[in-house]
Amino acid sequence: MSSEPIIRTENLTHLYSEGLSSEVAAIHNINIEIMQGEILAIIGHTGSGKSTLIQHFNGLLKPSTGRVFVDGKDIWESKQATRESRFKVGLCFQYPEYQLFEESVYKDIAFGPKNMGLDENETGIRVRRAAAFVGVDDDMLERSPFDLSGGEKRRVAIAGVMAMEPKVLVLDEPTSGLDPRGRDMVLDLIGNYRRQTGNTVILVSHSMEDVARLATKVLVMNDSQIAMCGSVEQVYSQGTLLYEMGLNVPQITRIFMGLRSHGIDVNDGVFTVEQGRNEIARLLKSRGVQK
Amino acid sequence: MIRDITIGQYFFGKSFIHKMDARMKILISLFFIILIFLCKNFFSLGLVAAFTVFILSISKIPFKLILKSLKPIIIIVVFTAFLNLFYTKGGKTLYEFWVFEITLKGVYSAIFMAVRIICLVAGTSLLTYTTTPTSLTNAIESLLSPLKRLHVDVHTFAMMMTLALRFIPTLIEEIDRIMSAQKARGADLESGGLVKRARALIPIFIPLFVSAFRRAYELAYAMECRCYNGGKGRTSMKKMHFTYRDGVAFAVIALLTAGIFILNFNIRAVI
Repeated sequence: MSSEPIIRTENLTHLYSEGLSSEVAAIHNINIEIMQGEILAIIGHTGSGKSTLIQHFNGLLKPSTGRVFVDGKDIWESKQATRESRFKVGLCFQYPEYQLFEESVYKDIAFGPKNMGLDENETGIRVRRAAAFVGVDDDMLERSPFDLSGGEKRRVAIAGVMAMEPKVLVLDEPTSGLDPRGRDMVLDLIGNYRRQTGNTVILVSHSMEDVARLATKVLVMNDSQIAMCGSVEQVYSQGTLLYEMGLNVPQITRIFMGLRSHGIDVNDGVFTVEQGRNEIARLLKSRGVQK
Repeated sequence: MIRDITIGQYFFGKSFIHKMDARMKILISLFFIILIFLCKNFFSLGLVAAFTVFILSISKIPFKLILKSLKPIIIIVVFTAFLNLFYTKGGKTLYEFWVFEITLKGVYSAIFMAVRIICLVAGTSLLTYTTTPTSLTNAIESLLSPLKRLHVDVHTFAMMMTLALRFIPTLIEEIDRIMSAQKARGADLESGGLVKRARALIPIFIPLFVSAFRRAYELAYAMECRCYNGGKGRTSMKKMHFTYRDGVAFAVIALLTAGIFILNFNIRAVI
């Protein structure tokens, strides 16, 4: 990890309906530093400003006040810098399958790289690489995106952003509306992508389970401001505080908290089912249950 | 921004205008358009402008919102004003350069046109601002009901119109979302020549059509699930009634019309 943050914001504030009586701050005075190689999860209830925040990272929204730096460069410094930030920070919106429009999957994934001005050859390489990440095979590349299933469409749309090979991949609710299998697939591909490329991933999510599985750092938004920021353990141990913000710790954590309050000596820092299984196994072993 | 378009939206309120019968509002709106074009001089147009300001203020729709709704037509207003400024000849010449000549009459007609368009848009958009889509359909259906004798399916027509109005804000939101998504993939919508710009719209419009069709199907299923089967034998829970408000509105419009005619033709006699 380099010491220079890949994304940094400075007193970032965004007002909607600026100047009108209905003026509201969607995000207020946000200062964050996101490091190279992190998987940062942004959580918060609906309307807490998550989506507004991420749209500042690639210059889709202009800050009312404050500044955004990508790779050490102010993205509103020049038109050129704003455009560059689009490709450095790849943003994949919620329900990205509704942005598909080309006649073949290949062409749709190639839309981003082509906009970057890459030649046919380089575009082809990137499309195939992104397709491999999301598990889209050559056969599927020739099909129409409108003939795919919901989960497949979702993965194709994510590949469309990955193909720009951004330094930071931002995904807004990438698993919403998917069945458990589709969800696992998307979460796995995000993890694999991070491991193989070493790029930063920012994940906006409602699901505390998803976050626990992937994130290296968690940012909690509440009332347009940053409420908490830290490791999964640090944030998830604040159960009551999260609850007050309309959030909750994962189901498995609640079970272990319950066990503990019933006097069973378990570690309640359990956030995924796998950790839970290991903890139970440890407990059984320590009690000498080895029948 | 695209979200600034407020045409077709309804704003909750309890004003005199909100409570008027929707049929009366439609008729008055249509008549108002005619009245605006009947104005022949600044006196009668001034009266119409004053009337527009009056109805806007009693509707209690926030003034800023009305200004916002006028934003998209600024270009049309300015363009029309400019054309009139340069092409209307007559009266004292105020300014001259090269082939252009600005005359006093040109200035007058530029202002006249601008005021006329603004009154037209501000006055008529009040109809949808103060009337819910449901009462708008009922009113259209009721007003067109004489056509039923000619075997015109008035109910379906009215329902289609309402649905179209209802979906304007939804589709605007949708366009906004799709535009952001494609911009995030580096789509450039703001530069290049006409052909390039037209091509840049493809990634916006295809997803928009796809989602419009999807919504249409969903809506049709939802309507069927609630046993909608067209207008046959359909009665309404809330009957529309003309009240004293509509009588007052009618009287006001009659006075306005009289005023316009007097100011148009007998301006000397009045003064």
